[in-house]
Amino acid sequence: MYGWIGKVLRVNLSTGKISTEALDPAVAKDYLGARGLGTKFMVDEVDPKVDPLSPENKLIFLPGPLTGSFAPSAGRYTVVTKGALTGAIASANSGGTWGPELKFAGYDAVIFEGAAPKPVYLWIKDQTVEIRDASHIWGKDVPGTSDAIRAETDDDAKIACIGPGGENKVLFACIMNDLHRAAGRSGTGAVMGSKNLKAVAVVGTGAVTCADPKTFERAVMTARDMIQKHPVGGTGLRLYGTDVLTNILNSIGAYPTKNFQDGHFPTADKLGGETLSATLLQRPKGCFSCIISCGRVTKVTNPKYAGEGEGPEYETSWGFGGDCMIDDLEAVTKANFICNEYGLDTITMAATIACAMELYDKGLITREDTGGLALEWGNAEAMVEATRLTAIGEGFGKKLAVGSYRLADSVGHPELSMTVKKQEIPAYDARAIQGIGLNYATANCGAAHVRGYTIAPEVLGTPMKVDKDTIDGKPELVITFQNLTAALDATGSCLFATFGIGAPQLADMLSAITGVAYTAEDFMKCGDRIYNLERQFNLAAGLTAKDDALPPRLLQEPIKTGPSAGMLSRLPEMLPVYYQLRGWDENGVPTPAKLGELGLAA
Amino acid sequence: MKIQYFALLRDITGKKEEDWPQPEATVGQLVRDLVAHYGHAFERWVMKDGDLWDLVIILVNGHDVRHMQRFNTPLAPDDTVVIFPPVGGG
Repeated sequence: MYGWIGKVLRVNLSTGKISTEALDPAVAKDYLGARGLGTKFMVDEVDPKVDPLSPENKLIFLPGPLTGSFAPSAGRYTVVTKGALTGAIASANSGGTWGPELKFAGYDAVIFEGAAPKPVYLWIKDQTVEIRDASHIWGKDVPGTSDAIRAETDDDAKIACIGPGGENKVLFACIMNDLHRAAGRSGTGAVMGSKNLKAVAVVGTGAVTCADPKTFERAVMTARDMIQKHPVGGTGLRLYGTDVLTNILNSIGAYPTKNFQDGHFPTADKLGGETLSATLLQRPKGCFSCIISCGRVTKVTNPKYAGEGEGPEYETSWGFGGDCMIDDLEAVTKANFICNEYGLDTITMAATIACAMELYDKGLITREDTGGLALEWGNAEAMVEATRLTAIGEGFGKKLAVGSYRLADSVGHPELSMTVKKQEIPAYDARAIQGIGLNYATANCGAAHVRGYTIAPEVLGTPMKVDKDTIDGKPELVITFQNLTAALDATGSCLFATFGIGAPQLADMLSAITGVAYTAEDFMKCGDRIYNLERQFNLAAGLTAKDDALPPRLLQEPIKTGPSAGMLSRLPEMLPVYYQLRGWDENGVPTPAKLGELGLAA
Repeated sequence: MKIQYFALLRDITGKKEEDWPQPEATVGQLVRDLVAHYGHAFERWVMKDGDLWDLVIILVNGHDVRHMQRFNTPLAPDDTVVIFPPVGGG
């Protein structure tokens, strides 16, 4: 095979058996890799009703067919599993260098089954694969784990690991690689912890093959040119990072504030990318084969919050910032560093603290409950301490470790959790931007902006500008973006490549590297197929149309201040149209005709 | 009227915001006067082929002029105008 390696590594942690098998070319053609191929394995091999933290769940790491090639910004891998936080299909992807290294070692997927009886890590050096004892590493943070494993394997080993967050099964623990990159959402790290799997260390000396190198080179150079000429992909992201969105979202009144009680934060500029670049930024950083370099290498020298690392991204800055009524960028960055070092998803961590602050404000939890922590709006010190306590699994941190839905539900007020499918909504207010709300409600992994990033057309104006306030055409728009993103994720490419290129360019690169002819329409159909297969997994897991819902606040409590004052989400008007256009019945179930069209019929 | 600048426009103007004393009838007139004041660098990041660049976000009192009358959007003396050059994230 070209593009694909053609080999899958399977590791049974319960028995210690390690085996390899051939990748089915027909499956690869239809599901591409990464998110798509991982979902196919999950549907074929895992009972969707399984407890996510039981040995019966599987944890799958997958690069895509473009990963490791010189396609622009195609350095990603995806972790697919049943999410600990959501009980839904989880597919969190991450950049850095780990994904390409796995490809160079010679694998399209590593499937972990069962659970190890004691802490272990997997050491992959090309065809040599060993399960090694990790008892002496258990308890270490991400930098400590990475250093320890490199010292006993190879100085050049690429490490994906959990920190204490995953070990303690914090339901929103993530998997970290290259120290600062995260397969962030849905609790992939908790699943890894439940398997006593501390890390996967890889060294690969092979290469990615290409069916038609000359055509691939032309397609890649065309795509690179388009990304670099686009002002967002070529200039804006490198200069200011994703946090440049702070002032944009705040200026249009779509910046969720005070646990979504409002949509405008008067001092948001103190948190924005412009401020970050002028203060804490040391340099921008790119992932493998990236020509964008949105990453932020940052340093805080103030002894109170001192640290070095990467971030914050916009969503992190927003969550620890405006959502908690905090405008101290140093404190926000410190909380980000703690999450990276201990392996926690910053979005859910931050939004859970915001929810806890509202519960505290309303008297639903007390200072006694928090162990003396004054969780008042705007209290930056309390926010950082709450993050630290969650990371180390002590005190009130144990209550925060289940995410905002279970926390709010435990005091009888689940409606105060700003979640979809128990996963926290990110940094774009669905009352002020209609399409993104429909995307949140229908994202298969729970609320996520990176499943169908309609912010690009609804706010930024790329590839075309559509009115954020209207619901006209939004179901079509959301479906298109969701399908495109599913296919793009499955190639191993970065979503930010779409600030410049689209389905035609991705299909051209994919065709040239694999030797399988994909048109843009074929490519979009792959995305549709992946999306529907994810939906099938969720329905079999017990999720229903009732789970395609936003928190009541976004439907009933208008934004109070700023340019979007008075606005509400119109999800109930959009959802039936979305179902119909998806080829789903009124209960959100794909029709036999739709499944047949995609080759998914039983 | 008050004008707020973001991203590269802060470097180009040397300002986060300013009170613009001169009356301006439309967004287009304001932008052309700003170009005259701040020069080619400002024009490069705001205009394309003599018109508003589609990727530039100009808000008048928080509302996007791309969904109003673009450069023909009228202005009043007490309006707040916000200008973002093409940037983005996710």
